[in-house]
Amino acid sequence: MSESTGFLYPFIDAEERDSGTLLTDLAGSARQKARESSALQRSTLEACAEKVAAAGTEMARRFAAGGRMYSFGNGGSSTDAATFAALFAQPVTGRPLPALNLAADQAVVTALGNDVGFELVFSRQIIAHAASTDIAVAFSTSGNSADLLSALREASKRGLMTVGFAGYTGGEMAESDAVHYCFVVDSQSIHRIQESQALLGYQLWATTQRCVAARSGAEGGGR
Amino acid sequence: MTAGAVGATSVAAAVGITPDILDSGLAEDLAAASLALARRFSAGATMWCIAPQWEPHAHHMAVEFVHPVIVGKRALPALALTSPGVVAQARVAVRAGDIVIAVAAADDAAVLDLMRRTSAWGALSVWIGSGVRPDGGAADHVLWIDDPDPLAPATGRFVLMYHLLWELTHVCFEHPGLLADDPAACGEDVCVTCSDEGRPAEVIVPAAGPFGTALVRTATGEEQIDTTLVGDVVAGDLVLVHAGAALTRVGDRHE
Repeated sequence: MSESTGFLYPFIDAEERDSGTLLTDLAGSARQKARESSALQRSTLEACAEKVAAAGTEMARRFAAGGRMYSFGNGGSSTDAATFAALFAQPVTGRPLPALNLAADQAVVTALGNDVGFELVFSRQIIAHAASTDIAVAFSTSGNSADLLSALREASKRGLMTVGFAGYTGGEMAESDAVHYCFVVDSQSIHRIQESQALLGYQLWATTQRCVAARSGAEGGGR
Repeated sequence: MTAGAVGATSVAAAVGITPDILDSGLAEDLAAASLALARRFSAGATMWCIAPQWEPHAHHMAVEFVHPVIVGKRALPALALTSPGVVAQARVAVRAGDIVIAVAAADDAAVLDLMRRTSAWGALSVWIGSGVRPDGGAADHVLWIDDPDPLAPATGRFVLMYHLLWELTHVCFEHPGLLADDPAACGEDVCVTCSDEGRPAEVIVPAAGPFGTALVRTATGEEQIDTTLVGDVVAGDLVLVHAGAALTRVGDRHE
């Protein structure tokens, strides 16, 4: 049994006492997964480069027109949506731009989930808050979450720019006309998909920042 | 679309993707931390997740362990602590044997304060971050990315780190023989905290008068100790206890 696959064959008995082999296998496995993650990030950024540039330009145009951004997702993706919103609203460098994470308010999320059903927790907020200059950004790994698709449809109907992050083959997000920019991370691993989505989101933010700076006549580029 | 072209030119190079983002040192640190986590979880630990500057990371770590992405993997007790007074929040939440995991910069005052208390609480500490490293011994396991870019927390590298921590922890569960001998509150090499050499303790109630004793918390529970040697103490102070007496203070005075 090779070192890299050794961890797949657990000891049958509970008598294993030397953790050295396991630790070596774990470290090797960690490095292998990290390399896969990097390779996926690279291929994803390359595949999405033009779409990121176009979406960043459109987002900058909308921010300049007074638009706000709403991000949302479920579970781990909801936290990635929160990181994405924080990157816009409280950047370490560059212009802060109005961005909100729609899962942040437990009163609103539980009220909507309880009263009208979980499928509408984000779309009802879009109905309440959004104007036609705004931007809706959904984070999913399957691309099929009903609550996200419902919110994206509502947003598109109201003239918002809609962005979807998905994995696998993109699911319904990739098919829907309501999703204007769909970024698909071509992987079967939820973890690796999220790691690439984080970098894609970062790249989208950096592109938006450069476009905002260019629009405002600053020396183009920011960082 | 002139502005758009700016973005298209900067792919990959601008965002610093390196082919090998996890060096062997960090991989070994991750492996060791994962085994320690698996041992603690096996013994009934709850994991408390903290990220004062990047709160979403605390929530992501918690949901990762509580609601695994792979169907059939065991749900593990993990909770995010996000109150502004995170030390006070953790003090009541954390029980002996638990895990405290933070995503924070090395100079995060709240996390520094929290991490130096974990040994008195009997908790295993894990610190994830990037940039300048915390001092040696700042946490039981330091998982660090030596990249000074202040934007590193938003590029997915921390997400990768706790994803790997989760994945490797579950691999450890397949090795029950290695989980049974959890050295509880002790390091694996030296077991200073279990002998009575000088155990870290946090003051709960100071002595009422010059001849009274103070109530303190240690990894093994609450006890009354003599604090004459270290002078006045206030609630929250950290001291080293030996044979029923505080020998010395640890670190700066609380507040």
